[in-house]
Amino acid sequence: MPIKYLDKYPKNPARSLWVLKPMWVSLRLFFRTVRHRPVTILYPYEKEWIPDNYRGRPGLRFDKCVGCGVCSRMCPTGCIKMVEVADDDGKMVMRPQVFVGRCAFCGYCAEYCPVNAMTVTPEYELAELFKEDMFYGPRRLNFKDTTPGMEVHLEVTLQSDIDAGSPEKRYHPHEIDKPVVDEDACIGCKKCQKVCPVDAVEMVEKGLNAKGKPKLVPLFDPKKCICCNNCVIDCPKDAIHIEEVL
Amino acid sequence: MMVVENTIDTFDSPSEERIAKDRYQTDAMWIYMGPQHPFSHGLWTLKVRVDGEIVTDAEPVIGYLHRGWEKEAENREYPKIIPMADRLCYSASMTYTHLYCMTVEKALGIEVPEKAEYIRIVADEICRIQSHLMWLAAVGTDLGNLTIFLWGMREREYWLDLNVRLCGQRMTTNYPRIGGVRNDTTDIFDRDVMRCTERFEKALWDLIDMIDSSSIYVSRMKGISRLTREQCANLGVTGPAMRGCGVDFDLRRDDPYGKYENIDFEVPVLTEGDTYARYMVRIEEMFQSCEIIRQAVRKINALGKNAPYRLKVPSKVPAGKAFCKLEDPRGESLMYLISDGTDKPFRLKVRAPLFTNISASRPMVKGVRVADVPAVMAMIDVCMGETDR
Amino acid sequence: MSNPYYPYDTYNVVYDLGFEVYQFLGGIVAWLIDLILPGNPVSEWLMSDAVVNAFSIIILALVIFLVIFVGVLISLWEERKVLGRFMDRRGTMVGMKGFMQCVADGLKTFMKENTMPKKIDKMTYMWTVSLIIGTSVLVACMLPLSDRFFIVNFDSGLLIVMALYALAPFFILVSGWSQNNKYSLIGGMRAAESMISYEIPMLIIVCSVAVLSGTFNIGGIVAAQNESMWYIIPLFVGFIVFFTCSCAESERSPFDLAEAEAELVEGWQTEYAGMKWGLIMLGDYLRGFASCAMISIMFLGGWNVAPFASDAVNGFLPEVVQLLKGWFVFFIMIWVRVALPRVRIDQILNLGWKVFMPLSVVNLAIAVLLKVGGVF
Repeated sequence: MPIKYLDKYPKNPARSLWVLKPMWVSLRLFFRTVRHRPVTILYPYEKEWIPDNYRGRPGLRFDKCVGCGVCSRMCPTGCIKMVEVADDDGKMVMRPQVFVGRCAFCGYCAEYCPVNAMTVTPEYELAELFKEDMFYGPRRLNFKDTTPGMEVHLEVTLQSDIDAGSPEKRYHPHEIDKPVVDEDACIGCKKCQKVCPVDAVEMVEKGLNAKGKPKLVPLFDPKKCICCNNCVIDCPKDAIHIEEVL
Repeated sequence: MMVVENTIDTFDSPSEERIAKDRYQTDAMWIYMGPQHPFSHGLWTLKVRVDGEIVTDAEPVIGYLHRGWEKEAENREYPKIIPMADRLCYSASMTYTHLYCMTVEKALGIEVPEKAEYIRIVADEICRIQSHLMWLAAVGTDLGNLTIFLWGMREREYWLDLNVRLCGQRMTTNYPRIGGVRNDTTDIFDRDVMRCTERFEKALWDLIDMIDSSSIYVSRMKGISRLTREQCANLGVTGPAMRGCGVDFDLRRDDPYGKYENIDFEVPVLTEGDTYARYMVRIEEMFQSCEIIRQAVRKINALGKNAPYRLKVPSKVPAGKAFCKLEDPRGESLMYLISDGTDKPFRLKVRAPLFTNISASRPMVKGVRVADVPAVMAMIDVCMGETDR
Repeated sequence: MSNPYYPYDTYNVVYDLGFEVYQFLGGIVAWLIDLILPGNPVSEWLMSDAVVNAFSIIILALVIFLVIFVGVLISLWEERKVLGRFMDRRGTMVGMKGFMQCVADGLKTFMKENTMPKKIDKMTYMWTVSLIIGTSVLVACMLPLSDRFFIVNFDSGLLIVMALYALAPFFILVSGWSQNNKYSLIGGMRAAESMISYEIPMLIIVCSVAVLSGTFNIGGIVAAQNESMWYIIPLFVGFIVFFTCSCAESERSPFDLAEAEAELVEGWQTEYAGMKWGLIMLGDYLRGFASCAMISIMFLGGWNVAPFASDAVNGFLPEVVQLLKGWFVFFIMIWVRVALPRVRIDQILNLGWKVFMPLSVVNLAIAVLLKVGGVF
């Protein structure tokens, strides 16, 4: 591997001409910028082209969002809050509200969104006059020209797959992780069914509780579950945990 | 010689000994190259004690940018610390996130897929080139020439565009993940990277010509502020500053992490130990980084589109201790993680290379003229985010 | 000129302009007063020869100052645009391709608050600023733009210009001291010592040009060059040395210690705020403009287009030719600023005494040899 600079330059012969080489180099650039234009982009009259995957402010597709709250939990600055708004039919649902003033543009909300409702957008001109305008409600988060390139897909490979010789398989974690309930600790309060955003919990009867009455335990539908951890967090007895498959 | 001290408050040095000694010597005075300095590259103070024109003593004062990073890291789950690690030093963001992910992977005991390692190498070297270009821009300004600042930043923009194609953001990229990287490279990434390196290798000579072929620049850098090998070893100076003094050590070659053992590159080492040697080491490192990027991109191509790039990792790290080292653009950085089985770290310690390099500023600056002090300090590429954390 | 008080020996177009303007304006005033009070002595006095001459001279001074001022503003605009293009960016863009930006900057500086530290020495603080600006304007206005566009026509013209040019270092030194700030004092001493050490080669080179042309009179130097050749050819070494020394005198890069914030922490201009600082900056550009005009007069043939061009071509708008040559030399100064870093203060002094002074003496020797050998 040839060392290019150290071979040539410590004994640079142009140095003996005192300062003529730098003056020649700058004059060359001067002629170039006078004939063609300089590299300056005359913002705001001209703007640079931005690719699809540019991480500007977060964007939300209202219809796709299920209100699971994963974006709010994963945000490292804590700028996303779930608020209650009316959806298109008038029903009150929980949707995220982003405080763009505190947003770090890390893209975690788009990455960890299980239904890819949160996207990144190429919008970066976000200056406002008042701080209240920096709170983007769920409707305002909508970005008009959302393209498929703006979704961020979380795809992981399992170590067991690599060991088994099929390393090209990729999954989203919610396709393989499932919640598991400790049936002895469960008291059948049905809280998990209430907080599940996609109705993946069905309470079934299983066995008898301490008083001899039939006990309700949750049954999770693996196809619907998006591993949003709502049931895990809200269970009063901490009876549910997500079983991670590696 | 006019008596100047009784007209203004003289700020003495903090320790009592030095105050007592100074009162009897009226020739020396302390100048605060203070926190509000146009070209000090970050918020810190360098107090220099000046005897006429020569500096006889120096004391750096840091801590203006302390954000409590290590304490904040104890309150966050492991994935959420990655954007924080980005902001340890904004121009070396990829290397710090890479280091953090390596540490957690070591604590978990998993092995990252090969493709992810090579992509991380490409991202690291892009980060290194981009950081060195910003250093070059700063060197020009410190010595009084704004042209190099603008040309250096122009070159840097091309590399930041590559970052955008890779992951969507220019600087705080949030790209490595625990277990791999965030997303695969695009189809045309190798073409973009090759074009960028070819263009850069030609365009860098213009910048070098402005500095190296100008006897004014070289006379201001040559022979200034020598450090010996023993001083480097005793003070803990690492990185290009150390390699300019004759210590032949580079973590990528001597203690390889990632897949650096499969990449063939040279490490520039010079023995003069002055500012000019440190400058030359960094320029050569830029060329070598181009070479590394090309080899890594060829290996990524060879692995194909279907190779895995991100491993699934458990959210709780088993209790234990792990530390990892990495060759930052400024030196050797280290992270030490103590985990306790939950999904938040118990203690995460960062060793920033600049912390030790700045504390070595005293022997570096002694014996140098006041006018050269900014040039000397620019050569170790100060970035206060990682020093103060 | 019919006026017996006419102060010059040759034709002066600005005096002519002033004369006509005053005849018009003063005539209107005198006629109005005459209407109200016919036959009064004030109108007669207003149109008498002495008063007409006095007012014409005042208008002449005003016109020359305005022309030079606009010329300096244009050179400031040229610097910003050309500096931008060298650095791969555009310069100022607002208002008439960026010219109005310079004017706007001046107005903005004018409106800033005039803060003064408490414990300064007030008299020297105020007076040195005015004297620095005053001598700079004086030097810039004393250089004629052509045979007929001048304010004085001394026989020792160039020597007097250099003498006034050399007053500035003293005022800088005193102003650095008056600011009651150890860093400004150091800055003032450094600026003064670098300027003083660079004036000596300049004086020697002026002498060598005078040797070749036989006179210190500026018109005479230009006329002498028109007969033989531009003095840049025999005195090339002198050109380079004078050019570098005038960069140092105008405190431009690579010798700009006064603005070297990174190195010095402060310079001698720190405690000046608002318009005082604005005027100091303007003074810098005035001195730069004056040295460019001097270079073009001494080495590039002044206001004649070329020695081989006919009289008709040489006589067509010589003022514009002189201004354009001055701006071209300023372009070279900007080019030097772009390419080179700052030279350290001890290196500046080394260069001034050990390199440029011997070179200027060599230049003088060449001039004397050429003159004695009969070539010029």
